[in-house]
Amino acid sequence: MRRLAVFASAFAAASLGLAAPAVAQGNFPSRQITMIVPAPPGGGTDVFGRLLAEIAEADLRQKVVVENRGGAGGTLGVTQMVAGQADGHTIAFVWNSPLTTSPHSLQVLYTPDRYAAVMSIGFSSYTMCVRPDFPADNGQAFLAHLKANPDKYTYGNDGVGGTMQLAAERIFAAAGVKVRAVPFGGAGETARNFLGAHVDIYGGSLPPILPHAQAGRAKCLLLTSADANPALPQAAGLASLGMAGEETVLWWGLIAPARTPRAALDRLEAAFSAAARTERFREAMAAQGATVRVRGAAETAANIRDELEALGKVARALGIERKAQ
Amino acid sequence: MGDSLGHLWSGFGVALSLKNLGLCLIGCLWGTVVGVLPGLGPLAGMALLLPLTFGLDPAGAVIMLAGIFYGAMYGGSTTSILLRVPGEAASIVTCIDGHEMAKNGRGGAALTIAALGSFVGGTLSIVGLMLAAPMLAEAMLKVGPAAEAVLMAMALTVVAFVSSGPPIKTALMILVGLALGTVGLDQLTASPRFMFGSLELVDGLSFVALAIGLFGISELLMSLDERLSARPKTPTLAELAPTRAELAEAAPAVLRGSGIGFVFGLVPGVSHIVSTFVSYALEKRLSKTPERFGKGAVAGLAGPETANNATTGAAMIPLLVLGIPAIPATAILLSALMVHNVQPGPLLLVERPDVFWGLVASMYVGNAILVLLNVPLVGVFVSLLRTPMAYLAPAVMAICVIGVFSVKASGFDLAVMAAAGVAGYLLRKFGYDVAPLLLAMVIGDRMEVGFRRALTISQGDYGVFLRGEAVQAFLGVLALVLALSLGAKLLGYRRG
Repeated sequence: MRRLAVFASAFAAASLGLAAPAVAQGNFPSRQITMIVPAPPGGGTDVFGRLLAEIAEADLRQKVVVENRGGAGGTLGVTQMVAGQADGHTIAFVWNSPLTTSPHSLQVLYTPDRYAAVMSIGFSSYTMCVRPDFPADNGQAFLAHLKANPDKYTYGNDGVGGTMQLAAERIFAAAGVKVRAVPFGGAGETARNFLGAHVDIYGGSLPPILPHAQAGRAKCLLLTSADANPALPQAAGLASLGMAGEETVLWWGLIAPARTPRAALDRLEAAFSAAARTERFREAMAAQGATVRVRGAAETAANIRDELEALGKVARALGIERKAQ
Repeated sequence: MGDSLGHLWSGFGVALSLKNLGLCLIGCLWGTVVGVLPGLGPLAGMALLLPLTFGLDPAGAVIMLAGIFYGAMYGGSTTSILLRVPGEAASIVTCIDGHEMAKNGRGGAALTIAALGSFVGGTLSIVGLMLAAPMLAEAMLKVGPAAEAVLMAMALTVVAFVSSGPPIKTALMILVGLALGTVGLDQLTASPRFMFGSLELVDGLSFVALAIGLFGISELLMSLDERLSARPKTPTLAELAPTRAELAEAAPAVLRGSGIGFVFGLVPGVSHIVSTFVSYALEKRLSKTPERFGKGAVAGLAGPETANNATTGAAMIPLLVLGIPAIPATAILLSALMVHNVQPGPLLLVERPDVFWGLVASMYVGNAILVLLNVPLVGVFVSLLRTPMAYLAPAVMAICVIGVFSVKASGFDLAVMAAAGVAGYLLRKFGYDVAPLLLAMVIGDRMEVGFRRALTISQGDYGVFLRGEAVQAFLGVLALVLALSLGAKLLGYRRG
């Protein structure tokens, strides 16, 4: 499979008449690597990216410099990366939204053909929680109650057209329920409005709501991942509801400009996969409610294409898909 | 209460350990630096040092980062007063009377009053944080989208007071500000507004770029114009200290500013900016000489400078009690704690009293460090004014460019800054005041989003803006303010 991929990329490069810069095994990386993080400093993605860079530096024997380029839901940073030099020294550490979610609501200047997946490091599920007086105590009863009361309840999400909203709507469509979406600026704002009883359902990442679930102020009943999460024992994974195929999670990975030589991609994949598997990195992920699940280049690329297509369907159904100009 | 004091005592044990004291000092110093430099705000300052905290213990990490946060609020006033370049967003109002004081040769006094006011505001807000955090956190949760919309509408009504220009020009500037605030991807429907197909405008126009352009760059352009520029006078050493009369005018403004800052600090979002001009408007209303506002009124400097520091203690409350950051700067503190597996929230006080009380104690220490640091620095900063404009102007320009670029590494933002600079220069030449424009831009955005979110939740029922404790409290205050100003007007007529 790997060999086939090497042949395929070599063939593609040759047929396009583009001589890929010669990267012999062993002399990559030859200078410092720039890792673009398409988010402002200080958030989860930035922290993971910096830690990963720091661990991988020892293996790569070169500095890995993080460059934050936030804005437009991560799409500005990805746009900058795909225009970078395709020699392996420009990479981006991204979360999935600018790759599989934003292209549906924004006129982004790239498609999956413009970048190569290097690997992905792991994921974090979204959860849906209600206040203790809600008349359901498990995932199945939660969806059944919503189904019996269409458009009665409101749920807060991370932003219109964002991954959390599309993840939720994907499940709602499959279960045949209708809940009114109220977009907020992020999970913290959603949590505040949920705890203050301004919206009925919390929809967002685990960390902001976890302490309140533990203190009995929130009942978390559903996860957007296939599997359950030990931190929220009451929340059902989608597999247990027979909807494993509808999983949409927040995940993180490494991408490089398209036409980056295979040898460089392989070297990066090996170094960053090893870094993601270290105990130090696992602990940092766990602290933010995320799980390490290292996936290689081929699997990550396939995942991106599937998710892009599935979320495109949801966005079209919601009517938030961008209009072609 | 006695219990709190006991905990605070142990907190000082944490904060005064040699290592944590050093970290607090580093945070305060660095905070002062990023506060002084225009464009570089507390957010960038904290993010830059965040990776360094990975190797520290959690108490040390938050002590240092929090120091940057409130330290930046001290530093922000320096360039506002001396150069009319806002050091960060919460110092825009400071430019108005602070810089006028500098032109009158009272720059040293202005800096000293800003530092003392900041100290009082910062310290009082920590007392509030310490005594009433859990209760205030619950009150904060009552502020939903409807209440936020009402509050922002209230705030918009006081923006007009910030300007001393003719009302029609102020109204025009407010309208332009509201219009500029709509640029970007609509937050409720994801439809593009005035983006012209550019991804750079998805998040709207950069507030920092506009603020630096409209104030800083336009000031530099004004200084090129010999006829217009009135260079601030460099005071002699004896003129550095505030006079007794200045202190007497500042004192009540500082106390009111502390209250306003703390209360607004509880409201998430842009409270640190809103608190400054609400304080300014209040001081102008209460003043016996409102005509001096805009011409170097001490109260117009002392109130807002205190208010922005008083928001810092309040802004910590939702983070520490609920584990939910209400503003971006406290979101970075959350990141720092989570890296160390410390989860702020209802259980923090029980599980990690060392972190909570260590942080509270360190904030007292840090505020003391900052006032001791800033007052002697007044002389140094003021002597900057001796630099000939030929050297000072390019240096300030370079700092502005670096500051704006550091926010998002965006060349587009630099173009926005340059355009705003030219626009600001022209507006000011024609007698328009740019502060209402910036304030309306911030408020309008929050007001619109709150308004539409509330109606989304209520399914179009406008009654939502009359229901709920928070909404009614804000409406009550609005009614009171209107009644008082109406009463003052009637009394004024009688007097006249």
